[in-house]
Amino acid sequence: MKKLAVIIFRSPGQDPRKHEMEENILAALASDPDVAAAMAPHLYDLREADAAVASLRSVTGPLVVLAWLYPRAIHWTLDRLGIKGQRGETQLRRDDPEDEKRKDSASAPNASARTIWSLDLRDNDDTATHVAEIQRILRDLHAVSANAGPAASVTLPSVIRMQPSGVSLSRWYPVIDFGRCNDCMECLDFCLFGVYGVDDDGHVVVESPDNCKKGCPACSRVCPQNAILFPMHRTPAIAGAPGASFDARKLDLSELFGAPAAVQLAAAERNAALAGAEKEAKPRDNLDKLMDALDDAKL
Amino acid sequence: MPDELVFMMGNFAARFPTDRRYTLNHMWLNAEGDSVRFGLSAYAIRLLREVYFLEWSVDAGAAVRQKDEIGAVESSKAVAALYAPADGTITRFNAGALADPSAINKDGYGAGWLFEMTARAADAMEPAEYLKYLETSWTKAQELLKGQMAQ
Repeated sequence: MKKLAVIIFRSPGQDPRKHEMEENILAALASDPDVAAAMAPHLYDLREADAAVASLRSVTGPLVVLAWLYPRAIHWTLDRLGIKGQRGETQLRRDDPEDEKRKDSASAPNASARTIWSLDLRDNDDTATHVAEIQRILRDLHAVSANAGPAASVTLPSVIRMQPSGVSLSRWYPVIDFGRCNDCMECLDFCLFGVYGVDDDGHVVVESPDNCKKGCPACSRVCPQNAILFPMHRTPAIAGAPGASFDARKLDLSELFGAPAAVQLAAAERNAALAGAEKEAKPRDNLDKLMDALDDAKL
Repeated sequence: MPDELVFMMGNFAARFPTDRRYTLNHMWLNAEGDSVRFGLSAYAIRLLREVYFLEWSVDAGAAVRQKDEIGAVESSKAVAALYAPADGTITRFNAGALADPSAINKDGYGAGWLFEMTARAADAMEPAEYLKYLETSWTKAQELLKGQMAQ
């Protein structure tokens, strides 16, 4: 019988209710003989060299992934780490019609035949609903594998806990949705920090993620295909929410806390990031020293 | 002068110590030697409710301009970006609040402070002035909350 691998990626924050839900789902799955469940650190902060990534890559069969991110962000962040598959359909949340439409015409490079179901833990705060959805996926799989011969093996032990290797630092970089990207290279032209590059096949890739300026999502705003995600950005459309619909789960109080008008945003974000970068790169010259002396003189 | 002023947010009494000043984006500030310490006012904290996630998008030592986005908070009720309250250099973030943002709710005027910066001209308000500003801000806040909940 086919074992279904289920990975729960932890929330990056301190929210006790989120951590409790992660534990509850893991506990609920532990008793299911058809499931190999594991808890892993916050997905977006993982690096390719992390032990957790190696474990995840060893799973070759179907995979269900739960994280506190939009399903699109989950899928393409995994893809970036070399954990590839077809997007499974979940009944907790409908796919973006934009993606449905493209499903036939576009296929991600190197997408493997196995299926990965990405579930957003924010969709429902009831543990049982998530567990029930996993069991539904399992039933569907059994129905298919009854006709499809022997199943792929799953090498995960029944319950494991993957720890982040070394210090876990919160990262910031773009994730490309290759189901949407059409290699127009706008991002490559727009980004001034060399984050993007082109691979041997001529596809744009996030070549140097750590060059990205924390908090800057400007390339995502200029992408004509809305193919660039910043999974941790607070604006749902940039974080990978389906469509451009407003995320009603939480209020956005930014305006009360001093947010500027949205129209000036993309240019301001890039310029601010650039100003920061120049400051780092440029050695202080005599003019700077003179300005400091003038400041100190308090004229 | 009393130790604190009170602003009623519905039935909730938001308290504002008079030993410090306040900014338009609902932070308090207190000079500590050369640097100025900032935190969220009781008004901001009440709007957010329990703060679970705090993140800074700039590093300590960064020069910022007023209204630059410097970080974000997420709470049980809301998300919000945080903006620099003044021009200057951020010298230090409160590691305690970063590790456990619940300090903001427990002791927002003390252990739950956010960051320190050398601020050249913080156009800050005296507590009484801030309270007057809150009367107009409170109307705007209620409209924003109702508007977003209606969507």
